[in-house]
Amino acid sequence: MSTALWLAVVVSAFGTLLMRVVPFMWMQRRLDSDTGMNAMPQWLGILGPLMIAAVLGVSVVPVNPGLISWIATVIGLGVTLLVWRRLRSLGWPVAAGVSVFGLVEIVAALVG
Amino acid sequence: MSQLARYSPVLSALQGVREAIPLLGGYIPVSLSFGLIATQAGFSTWEAVVISTLIYAGASQFLFVGMVAAGSPLWLVVAMTMLINVRHVVYGPNLAALLPRSRHWPWLMHGLTDQVFALALTRLPQLPDAKRFSWFVGASLLAWGAWIIGTAVGATAGEAFTARWPLLGEIMPFALPALFLTMVAPRFTDKRWAMAMGLTILAALGLTLVGWSNVAIPLAAACGALCFYTVRFDNRRRDS
Repeated sequence: MSTALWLAVVVSAFGTLLMRVVPFMWMQRRLDSDTGMNAMPQWLGILGPLMIAAVLGVSVVPVNPGLISWIATVIGLGVTLLVWRRLRSLGWPVAAGVSVFGLVEIVAALVG
Repeated sequence: MSQLARYSPVLSALQGVREAIPLLGGYIPVSLSFGLIATQAGFSTWEAVVISTLIYAGASQFLFVGMVAAGSPLWLVVAMTMLINVRHVVYGPNLAALLPRSRHWPWLMHGLTDQVFALALTRLPQLPDAKRFSWFVGASLLAWGAWIIGTAVGATAGEAFTARWPLLGEIMPFALPALFLTMVAPRFTDKRWAMAMGLTILAALGLTLVGWSNVAIPLAAACGALCFYTVRFDNRRRDS
């Protein structure tokens, strides 16, 4: 890589790091301050869970979208939800969902 | 015995590592792909690894190597990379109250990706204060390490890997939507949250399907927030 390209990597990396660090530090300072500015703005507290929902919406699209992969996605998410309702944990529902999703994909590949 | 003495930092970090394992289902295939695409775009293996180590933000890395390979001006490459990563600015403030004060945050926050944020926002409130710092270190270092190793493997053996196990690259990424579903599901007990979250998920899905995945997260979250503020359910009937 040329020097200019290395510089572009470093600037992009540093800029991304600042976007992760500065708002975090700013909020911790604000929470610690004695000036009455110690509460997190309500809109930020609402945006957090909605960002997770948005990440779910983005990641739900299969790697190779097609009828089989969408069916596998719906079944996999259904199984994940069912196991989550029983156990209320993170690990087992994910393992069950991925197993069933994989099973549907493999069976479809073997049949097709 | 004090709370700090009761919780071993090593055990708390290992708990973070264990709870971040589902993230690898998404990280490994995507980092393998990045390594492969970066080498195909003319980057060497170690250059691809350095990009993954330093920038460490999936979508923007693909854009970065793609634009460089296409001969775009470097100022535009940097500007677009920053623009895609600007969504990260709302992650830190949401975690600020959940994490203890530490002089290590300026470098530890490098590990704050979409997925680590989602996992941390869900798990940290359920953990005792004394465990949170080590938990975050464990979870974020596992994700970062997997991303770097995945890039190296993808750059050196990505083609052979995907040719040998083509279905694995399709099945493993399902761990991410499954994990995020378990994180958003508890909010669906409240009608107002359910509507805002449902709209956010559909908006993100729709934007991704039409090829706007790079801006889908902030735009969909903004739609959901708008819905949350504008739609209110009247609870008076229940009270009467």
